Amino acid sequence: MHTLRALFALLLATVLLVGLPADASGLKVTATTSDLAAIAAAVGGDHAEVTALSLHTQDPHWVDARPNLALTLSRADLLVLAGLDLEVGWLPNLLTGARNADIQPGATGYFDASAFVHLLQVPSGQLDRSQGDVHPGGNPHYTYDPRSALLIAPALADRMSQLDPDNADAYAANAAAFTGELTDAIERWRGQLAHLQGAPVIQFHRSWTYLEDWVGFELVGEIEPKPGVPPTPAHVARTVGLARSKGVKLVLKEFYFPDTTAALVAEKAGASLLTLPGGADFNGGQTYIERMDATVGLLAGEGM
Amino acid sequence: MLWLMLPLAAAQEPAAPEEMLSPEELAEIEAALSADAEAAAATVAATPRTPPPPGSGSGGNMNPDIAFIADLALAAFSADAPLQSGAHDPTVNGVNLQQLEMALEGSVDPYFHFDANIVFTQFGVEIEEVYATTTALPGHLQVRAGQFLTRFGRANPTHPHSWDFVDQALPIGRLFGGEGNRGPGAELSWLAPLPWYVEVTASETMLGGAATGKSWSDAAAVGVDGPADLQTTAAVKQFFPLGQDWSLMWGLSWAGGPNGTGRTNRSEVYGTDLFLKFRPITTSSYQQVSLHSEWFHRRMQVPDELYTDLSGFTQLAWRFSRRWTAAARHEYGGATAASDGEQVVDPFDPVWQGSRHRYAANATFWPTEFSRLRLQGAVDLPDWEEAPAYAAFLAFEFNVGAHGAHAF
Repeated sequence: MHTLRALFALLLATVLLVGLPADASGLKVTATTSDLAAIAAAVGGDHAEVTALSLHTQDPHWVDARPNLALTLSRADLLVLAGLDLEVGWLPNLLTGARNADIQPGATGYFDASAFVHLLQVPSGQLDRSQGDVHPGGNPHYTYDPRSALLIAPALADRMSQLDPDNADAYAANAAAFTGELTDAIERWRGQLAHLQGAPVIQFHRSWTYLEDWVGFELVGEIEPKPGVPPTPAHVARTVGLARSKGVKLVLKEFYFPDTTAALVAEKAGASLLTLPGGADFNGGQTYIERMDATVGLLAGEGM
Repeated sequence: MLWLMLPLAAAQEPAAPEEMLSPEELAEIEAALSADAEAAAATVAATPRTPPPPGSGSGGNMNPDIAFIADLALAAFSADAPLQSGAHDPTVNGVNLQQLEMALEGSVDPYFHFDANIVFTQFGVEIEEVYATTTALPGHLQVRAGQFLTRFGRANPTHPHSWDFVDQALPIGRLFGGEGNRGPGAELSWLAPLPWYVEVTASETMLGGAATGKSWSDAAAVGVDGPADLQTTAAVKQFFPLGQDWSLMWGLSWAGGPNGTGRTNRSEVYGTDLFLKFRPITTSSYQQVSLHSEWFHRRMQVPDELYTDLSGFTQLAWRFSRRWTAAARHEYGGATAASDGEQVVDPFDPVWQGSRHRYAANATFWPTEFSRLRLQGAVDLPDWEEAPAYAAFLAFEFNVGAHGAHAF
């Protein structure tokens, strides 16, 4: 019995000594993707401590619900998510396990960024999984278009201000500085990417729709037969034929999709395969603008 | 000293809007709220603090998310009476409809989450789980109330669609019953404010017989006269992220309750579970390797005796490509022994007359994450049988409806 009491006292002392200091700094923001984390960091500035639940090298559809992520969520004041069911396979359990009322759906600390952007590929009519792993609310990869970030940043500043009114001016100023710098960069990037206007492009997964909308190239096919369904030989053959007939010179994929099939399609079609980042290297200190700059740099290097 | 630090810590936090009000103003608000609550006690409906954003919850309507998961298996057994212990395992030669599971979940209100698993079999409908989970308790506490699988170890709280094998692990069936250990009751859990993940869970549940609490089989017939007649379960789970690619989870569990063999006779199960997973996320790969090992020590008071036994299993699963997984499992059930070491028949499952090893291996093909085909072979070596028993399954699982979230 004495041993039990001693153990309990030791646990309590450890909790008080080690646990409490962890809860003692600015607005704690956690974002599901590295792009959203980078945007949140730009808006939060010195007043926010931002973490990302997934890496830029990870497919955000397929994140393991590791319990340490629940721990991060349990301490967050604000959750920023992509929504549109992008995180449906892993976030709900973590959110319940986090035991944090402040970031549950409906709370001020629950910020679904998809509510603030112009959505593309919102399905209409009959919808079921015979069409693959479709997102009923629309395509969730909207941070590939920097104009989405222009819409998310001010909304995020408003939300941070609601949670931390003392620093509202700083959040608004950070958002304004970020959108100003991004607007200038977008103008510059447009010039760099002008040669891609109307160029036919093949994508691995249906994730480049927003980039297409912004840059103006034309996505003519996907290596996945349907979203989330691995490529089959027959479909790959059709895609190669399609690429040849359309004169495709560029195949796009994210880092986390396999190389071999995409490289084969590119080779057979006489196109080049470009592996672009799936998000900002947030843990490596990369900002959203630096990440888009790198993406644009890679795209600009592709002669059409 | 520590308490003196608290206001300092709070001062570094950004001021919450409510902290801008004086204590008198807060008291006024509380008084007004309680007056309103009393006036409209029967009709007040709680509303979220801000409207849920579009796209959250269940597609903009008020229905819970619903999914149906069907499990079907073509089975061949060498034994005339296969010793399968799971209630939804394939048990006969030919085609077995293991189950059709309906999973429902959604928000009840801003304070509770709803989960239910209803299982349809050829013999009827069964409520496996239905519970509410709090989402708004302070202090990182959480309460679950309803009927639920107890959080003993890693395997027990799971449903077949998340298993790496067609059939239930033998120790679960032997100690807890074919349905797994569950019952109506309540559970309190706490996420400790430590730098690493430590979750402490305790629950009190009703004992419902051999299918859901085999080690306490006879207690259901005796009934409940007080809290001592319920099953108590406690568990501590710890998680260690070993870099980005490796994960380690370790749990300790205990369950105890009256077993009905005498006025104060009890059974207790002590368990430990280890789960090690490798999943590279810093390189482009679909590979996943997981090792899951779980061991159980049981003590059973029976008239004038104390019986003990040891059971466990270890399994390794390797997802070597986007669509393929291979897995192997070893299960063990030790002979039940009396206090003098003499081997006895398991008092709650007379089928177990000694020790038993079972080895299984399988390959799984995933057309998509919503369907899978699994070919499994097993050899069962109970030492009380003369010859090994062989089993082969070709299982097909398919589901439709809402995309469920995967637990780690």
